Amino acid sequence: MEPQQQAGSGDAPPKQVAQAMDRLGRAARLIAEIRLGADRILEALLVSNENPRLSEKAAELTLGEEDAMRRHFLDLRTVGKQLEDSGVLSGALRSRGNSWGLHMPLVCPDGAVVAYAWKRQLAGQAGASAVDRARLALKAFSDQKRRFFPQLEDDQLNRSNNDTIKFPPTKRPRLLHRPTQSPNIDSTEQKPMLADILKSIQTEAPGVTISTYQRLEWSKRAESLASTMNDSSLDQPKEQILSNLSGSFNEVAVIELVASGVFRVLVSLHPAGSTDPDAVAFFSPNEGGSYLHSRGMSVHHVFKHVTEYADKALQYFQSSDPNKALSHLLSWICSHQSLFTKNCSKCSKLLAMDKSLALLLPPVHRPYLLNSKDHDQDFATAYHIGCSSYDV
Amino acid sequence: MTVKWLMHFQPNQGTTLTSQVMAEACAVAESFPGVSRDGRWRSSMTFYRAVPRDQSLPAPSDLPRDLIGISLHDLPNEYLFVMRSQRLILRAHSSVQTVMDKLQSYKGRFFINFEGLQYKWGDFKLRIGKCLYNPNEALRGIVMEVEYLPLSSIDKSQRVMEEFYEIWREAVASKLLAGQFINTEVNFVEYGLGDSYTPQHTAVLYGMCVVQVIASSNKNQ
Repeated sequence: MEPQQQAGSGDAPPKQVAQAMDRLGRAARLIAEIRLGADRILEALLVSNENPRLSEKAAELTLGEEDAMRRHFLDLRTVGKQLEDSGVLSGALRSRGNSWGLHMPLVCPDGAVVAYAWKRQLAGQAGASAVDRARLALKAFSDQKRRFFPQLEDDQLNRSNNDTIKFPPTKRPRLLHRPTQSPNIDSTEQKPMLADILKSIQTEAPGVTISTYQRLEWSKRAESLASTMNDSSLDQPKEQILSNLSGSFNEVAVIELVASGVFRVLVSLHPAGSTDPDAVAFFSPNEGGSYLHSRGMSVHHVFKHVTEYADKALQYFQSSDPNKALSHLLSWICSHQSLFTKNCSKCSKLLAMDKSLALLLPPVHRPYLLNSKDHDQDFATAYHIGCSSYDV
Repeated sequence: MTVKWLMHFQPNQGTTLTSQVMAEACAVAESFPGVSRDGRWRSSMTFYRAVPRDQSLPAPSDLPRDLIGISLHDLPNEYLFVMRSQRLILRAHSSVQTVMDKLQSYKGRFFINFEGLQYKWGDFKLRIGKCLYNPNEALRGIVMEVEYLPLSSIDKSQRVMEEFYEIWREAVASKLLAGQFINTEVNFVEYGLGDSYTPQHTAVLYGMCVVQVIASSNKNQ
């Protein structure tokens, strides 16, 4: 008999459960042994009945079995007592408050042993909610896609307003003819060309140098910036927007805006050659390396915060005026030339201690809300994080 | 290279500078929320004087009589020379010190070490250090270097640094230190330096700052 370790009430419920499972297993084995022993005794009796010469041997066997059986019964009684004490057979522990929700192994009326009483419940619940969860997730993704990527054609998934996803065959011909979703804009208005947008921004903000790149060209330039930063001369040759491109504007994927000494901003366009911005990031003019891209993040706190705010601005421009999102975004970016010189419009200071971030920052929040007349938007105000109101 | 300002501590009239002031200045820095200590720093400065080859001949007038050599904590492989009279700065490899020792055309007259603690505070780096006269480790002054990491343009960072300086001065005054920090004002254009900050700018700052530190410590003695 193996030495038994009593699991006292001081032990954690999982140990108690493990012990109980162990004892139930032992009880089952003992019961099996007893059955076998009974079989052997009966067999011995039969043999001695049929074959009187073997009756002595049968008698020995019977006595031996009897001893074994007695021992098994005693063991079974002990195990049974232990199980009773730990409440397995009576379910007495079910109401205990400190059992972590782990109830003792339950011996169900049909003989099945369930290690945790709630396990059966959970399995059932999991199955039922999986369908609901999948449905909710699908709805959330299709909402997001519609909101942030209106230029992508939705062919199947967007139509339903209610919870269930329907694929009605009768609606399909209409879907194919449906233009890209744009709630506010008259669909007959033509989208401006990239070259025109860039030219007008250049005129509006002469202090900012704008350059365009194809995706691979930009990767190379970002790497080369890392090595030029090590030199003491940081003056980069100014590049005109039109002379920079070897090809046409059809493959432009990255727009770089540099305000000398203040920032370097990267805007990516998706698809390449379009006028639809899909990401923006602010960096210090002295940063360089492969992490410099429109979805990258500056190592400096001030630019990290401006980039976070720029993401919100981009989403706002895309949802409220998708045709002019790029123009608005570039204007808004150019207004940041005064990032390190313009005082906060609320507290009139340049640097302010942000208590929650424990950082000293200039005003990094520049309101981006468009007013109803869509020209002469100057984005002139700036606020510290703590000074800006929530919806700005 | 990112923009730095250099300040030195001017003790109040009649008070002497002690190591206690250094501890108090560090305490002011550590009292700002979000400041973290970032190790120690050490720079050194040598004042060279020309050794004329032939004592009978007058020294050529175009050669500087005095040279300041500076080894900066963030550029261990370089050595900078400042010729204040000619407003020239030379940037060389650190092995030039060996060359100077061998040539003996200029001899080091006295030496100053800067050493102290470094702090990181968001996008700012602060270095507070003692200015020690080398042979006897006498405390000559306390300096503080402030670096603003995102910017390298002196012009664009001017307002940020000014506001930081005000915040620092107010904090020092509120903690009742026996004196105040004075910023080192330098006209970099005179030294032929541009708007992009470089180690040469740092060398000029240290050159000017040390002169002021020595002048103020002589006055107080």
